[in-house]
This record gives sequence, structure tokens and C-alpha cells, in this order.
Amino acid sequence: MMGLMRRSILLRIAYPWPRLRPGLPIFPHPPDLQLARVAQWFHALSDCTRLDILALLSQRDRSAGELKVLLAVPASRVSFHLKVLRESGLIREHRDAASRFSIARGDTLDLMIHFTQTLMPGAHVGRCPLDGCRD
Amino acid sequence: MTDTATIARWFHALSDEARVQIVEMLSHKERCVCELEEVLGIAQSRLSFHLKVLKDAGLISDRKEGRWMFYGLERDTLDQIAAYTKSVKPGKHAGSCAMACCD
Repeated sequence: MMGLMRRSILLRIAYPWPRLRPGLPIFPHPPDLQLARVAQWFHALSDCTRLDILALLSQRDRSAGELKVLLAVPASRVSFHLKVLRESGLIREHRDAASRFSIARGDTLDLMIHFTQTLMPGAHVGRCPLDGCRD
Repeated sequence: MTDTATIARWFHALSDEARVQIVEMLSHKERCVCELEEVLGIAQSRLSFHLKVLKDAGLISDRKEGRWMFYGLERDTLDQIAAYTKSVKPGKHAGSCAMACCD
């Protein structure tokens, strides 16, 4: 019980970045973050075209037609890559009567930024089942 | 600025649940293969394969001590990955892209 309480307090004060105390980084994972979901983000980023698409979308929202021209990739490839990125939650699609745009999702990117911070040597707190890794 | 192929390789190395879990475990401290094997519950051959993918991508390094190999995280690469993920946040990107459209 105590452990649970302490973890929830840590979660509250660790958000938002920056860190809790100088020299003592604490990066607990959001409790509901699934490894499968994390692996899916990184899978979506494991292709050069998808990295280019995300870089372009982080600048501003763009349509599939625009991405096709900018990247000089066939339309079918663009829609495939957009689908992979959408399924991973890194981007979303906005539709209105006249057009469809892809938009980078700030909420997922925030989670991913936070997660990559937890991977630093010595920065990890909790979740790991190994001895000595709970405190 | 790191090239796109290298970035894709980092993320490819992290695109598997077992490998994400390995990196998480190493983020506490160096671990030996025996500890990783016990927790992940996978065959040693499979584990060696995952460790090789991570090592080739530059995310981890190894050190031999007696009979055992110890694995630890490569801080430089992880710093670069964290910097990359920050750079793709909408609104953070301006100016870092070489494309003509990007002003």
C-alpha cells in the first residue's frame, strides 16, 4: 500500500518535466503504458520514409498528396506509411468536407519523449522485476 | 545531425517488446546474460539474437567479466534518441529540416 502511494505521488510530481530535484532524475513510466504499445511506436519509426513523413508533419499538418510530392514516393506507399503511423498513434487524420490532413499527435509524442528519458543509464525507476531494481 | 538510416536502425532495434524490456532492465544498471535470461524466460539463443540487434544499433555495449558477459546502455546513443524524439514534437521542428518546403 505504502509503495503504491509513493508511486502515485512520484507520478504526480514527475509530470511535467523538468525533474523533481536537481541531480536526482525520477522518470516513472505512466502506469498503463504497455510494452507492446511502446514497441509499436518504435516499429512505426523504423523506416526512413516514415521518419521523413513525421519530420514533415511536425512542421505542420499536410495532406497525403502534399507528402507524395515532397517525398517523391508513389501515393500507395504514402498511404501505407500513413496507416502504420496512424495505427501506432503517432499521427491522426483530420477529415472535413473538402480535404483530409494528417496531423502529428502531440500527446503520443509527449509519452514517447518521456519514455525515452526513462531509458537513460541509472534513470530507471520501478517496473523491472530484477532484484535491487525497486528502490 | 544524424542521418535518417541510423535513426531508423535505432528504432528498429526498439521495435520488439523483448528488446524494449531488455533496454528497460539495463536502464537500472549493467546486467549479466544470466539475469536477463531468467526474467525474460526466453531461450539463450533468442536472447543472444536480441542483444546482437541492440549492440549493432549502438544502444548497448558488452563487457566480459570472468565467465559472464555484462551488458550496459550506451549513454551517447540514448541521448541522441531522446534528442530526436524531442525534435519531432510539433512546433519544435522549424529550421532543422533541409526540405525546401520547410520554412
